[in-house]
Amino acid sequence: MNCWSCQAEVGPQALFCPGCRALQPEPPRTDLFATLGLTRDFDLDPEDLERRFRERSRQLHPDRFARASPRERRISLERATRLNDAYRTLKDGRARAGYLLKLLGKDPVAEARTHHDPEFLEEQLELREMLALAREKEDKRALALIATGARDRLAAIDEEVARLFAEAEPGEEALNAIVTALARARYFENVVAEADPAAPPTHT
Amino acid sequence: MARAIGIDLGTTNSLVAYVDERNRPQVVNVDDKKPLLPSAVYYRMDGGIEVGAAAKRGAPDHPVDTILSVKRFMGRGPGDVRPEDRGIYRFDETGSVVKLAVNHGKRDVTAVEVSAEILRVLKKRAAEHLGGPAGGCVITVPAYFDDAQRQATKDAGRLAGLEVLRLVNEPTAAALAYGLDKRSQGIFAVYDLGGGTFDISILKLTDGVFEVLATAGDTHLGGDDFDRVVAQRLLEDTGLDPTPTVLRGATAAAQKVREALTYEQFVELDVDLPRGRILHAKLAREELEALIRPVVERTTAACLGALRDAGLSRTDGKKVDGVVLVGGATRTPLVRRHVQRIFGLEPLTDLDPDTVVALGAAVQADALDKGGREDVLLLDVIPLSLGVEMMGGVVEKIVLRNSTIPASATQQFTTYADGQTGMVVHVVQGERELVRDCRSLARFTLKGIPPMPAGLARVEITYAVDADGILAVSAREVATGIEQRIQVKATYGLSEDEVERMLIESIEHAGEDVAERFLVEWRIEGERIIQSLESAFQVDGELLTSEERAAIDKRIQGLRDAMKTDDYLAIKAWIESTDGASKAFAERRMNKHIARAMAGHSVDEFAGMARPNEEK
Repeated sequence: MNCWSCQAEVGPQALFCPGCRALQPEPPRTDLFATLGLTRDFDLDPEDLERRFRERSRQLHPDRFARASPRERRISLERATRLNDAYRTLKDGRARAGYLLKLLGKDPVAEARTHHDPEFLEEQLELREMLALAREKEDKRALALIATGARDRLAAIDEEVARLFAEAEPGEEALNAIVTALARARYFENVVAEADPAAPPTHT
Repeated sequence: MARAIGIDLGTTNSLVAYVDERNRPQVVNVDDKKPLLPSAVYYRMDGGIEVGAAAKRGAPDHPVDTILSVKRFMGRGPGDVRPEDRGIYRFDETGSVVKLAVNHGKRDVTAVEVSAEILRVLKKRAAEHLGGPAGGCVITVPAYFDDAQRQATKDAGRLAGLEVLRLVNEPTAAALAYGLDKRSQGIFAVYDLGGGTFDISILKLTDGVFEVLATAGDTHLGGDDFDRVVAQRLLEDTGLDPTPTVLRGATAAAQKVREALTYEQFVELDVDLPRGRILHAKLAREELEALIRPVVERTTAACLGALRDAGLSRTDGKKVDGVVLVGGATRTPLVRRHVQRIFGLEPLTDLDPDTVVALGAAVQADALDKGGREDVLLLDVIPLSLGVEMMGGVVEKIVLRNSTIPASATQQFTTYADGQTGMVVHVVQGERELVRDCRSLARFTLKGIPPMPAGLARVEITYAVDADGILAVSAREVATGIEQRIQVKATYGLSEDEVERMLIESIEHAGEDVAERFLVEWRIEGERIIQSLESAFQVDGELLTSEERAAIDKRIQGLRDAMKTDDYLAIKAWIESTDGASKAFAERRMNKHIARAMAGHSVDEFAGMARPNEEK
């Protein structure tokens, strides 16, 4: 690739032109992992992710380009927007899992619909009834118990997702299991939000 | 080279600061050897304009011609003016922005013009101090300022002949000054109670990066409210008629009484009113606290909401490492005790709460002017969620509040009716789940969607928020690429009352809203899916085996039963189950539809495409 400003040769990973130091646009079809300089992998170190986000923000943020040319300002805006999107998506384990599934050709929302088994739905209906009753009676102890139970289930789901992604090459069966796990997580997220509205959001 | 300046354009006082040769932010003494320029503008009958302490001192003598706290009118329309302002000022009600009528109605001034007078004085004083004209500038705004208010602030800067590099949120600027001064790391809360607005921001400071995790606030809460309730009490004691002159005098007295009670337990003083009258004021600190307590309590919900949004709670291990106080009203002992109770921490008060915002603004102005500083970066957020109206008047949020800016998000939508060729895109802002409870920002229609059965067209809506917090919306039909873009106009901004009401309500109704929203949404979706399946059975029933048809029918029956209950999750589960069971059917229909659509075209149209394939 060539620099848009001085036509010098620029490597695909380079943020700036080695010749004129102009900020380069993000190469087309870059995934959100690459936006943060990572390879596609579910397993990541949250501290490393945060560090990368900070370092790239320092380099790309529009505040660095307040006195730059309109073209460079636009590139900075586009890259910073994408960087914020990447960080927001990847720092949350379930959002990261959903995004990885999409990269692997699975639509987690659409496909989840075919993975509902009747036992799970019945269990959910029972849980919802308990929740409705506890809310009606304003039974704080019951609500706390329901919230804790749902949080435990979420923790188990998160572990299962991490385990499935850790397989050397997750096959169709493993990917479907992840789709199902993420779909179930949404139910438990809703339960926590309703049982304990003052608590921080349950996604990590 | 001209030096960049930072301006705190405050409700009560305004300041200007710069970064000196030794890289330290400094405030400029602007008014009588003091850094605080009272945000008071007096329009004299002879056409002259006075700004600052002299104008403020004369306010009781010229109540209508002296504009105080003009910030509350920024970006607002005549409908937003509050009754207590009508008690003092005269307004020209024509047009879409607030216009104050001064000099017996001979002159109309807008909030932008009044603010520009204040900015002109700051700019001039800075130039005198620096020995040359100022370069680019940063002006601070409350974190909860909406588009219209931000745009008005930028306009005032331009009108004053300033080059506005960026608007920066006040709590973020304060954190910048504070964090740099202390070389701090960790999570900090900035509690900013100014003259007219309240903001709470939670920031994470790491290696010079100031990441705002969450912000919340109340744009109609501040020291002015303290003065109002105290002035009312003082007037009750005197029995004077509340003419503009008397109101102004009582407000000035209230301010003095309140400030004195910061250090004293009891105060008794006489305040001169025009025409030789005297207002005798006496109040104990206890009485003051009883008067202002309800106002102070109103900051609690926003603080708890911001903590929650930042992923912090008082119960688990993650908590705030420090609380910074900003704004003159935080000197009040009751406010300090209140903050301490909320955060469980003694607030930090090393820096002057009046100057800290201007110092931070100067640091940021300097950084922007130099193309960014290696050691400092502010990552701010959007304060209110941006969404789009869905069927049934429910809001689908597209960019969530507290998303780091610049931000953008895309969502796909589909058509509800067979052959639908247009789609209305209604852009709204707010936290509530129903459109009627949010603020409408803009509305446009995406036209030219090719006619298809309901649910087959795909429309992509993209919201993009830039580094100044300005929103642009575009909509695109995926199959044809038909696209429409709009820039959300500043005039559609939220009023302060609306932001306040929406925030308070979103906190009060958080749980109930979710249930109501989902119930409405899923009932509509259930109805839609049943209808579309039934009409599909009539047209394309032959595409299903009898077993497949029975499996779908069974689920439709279950869905109908679930829709009779108020349990939206049950409805949702049955919808998903029905959808899953009919997926193969939908695919077969789509293939058939596409084949038919192609068949409807002339041979010539496809000739170019078809031939090479045949040759293969």
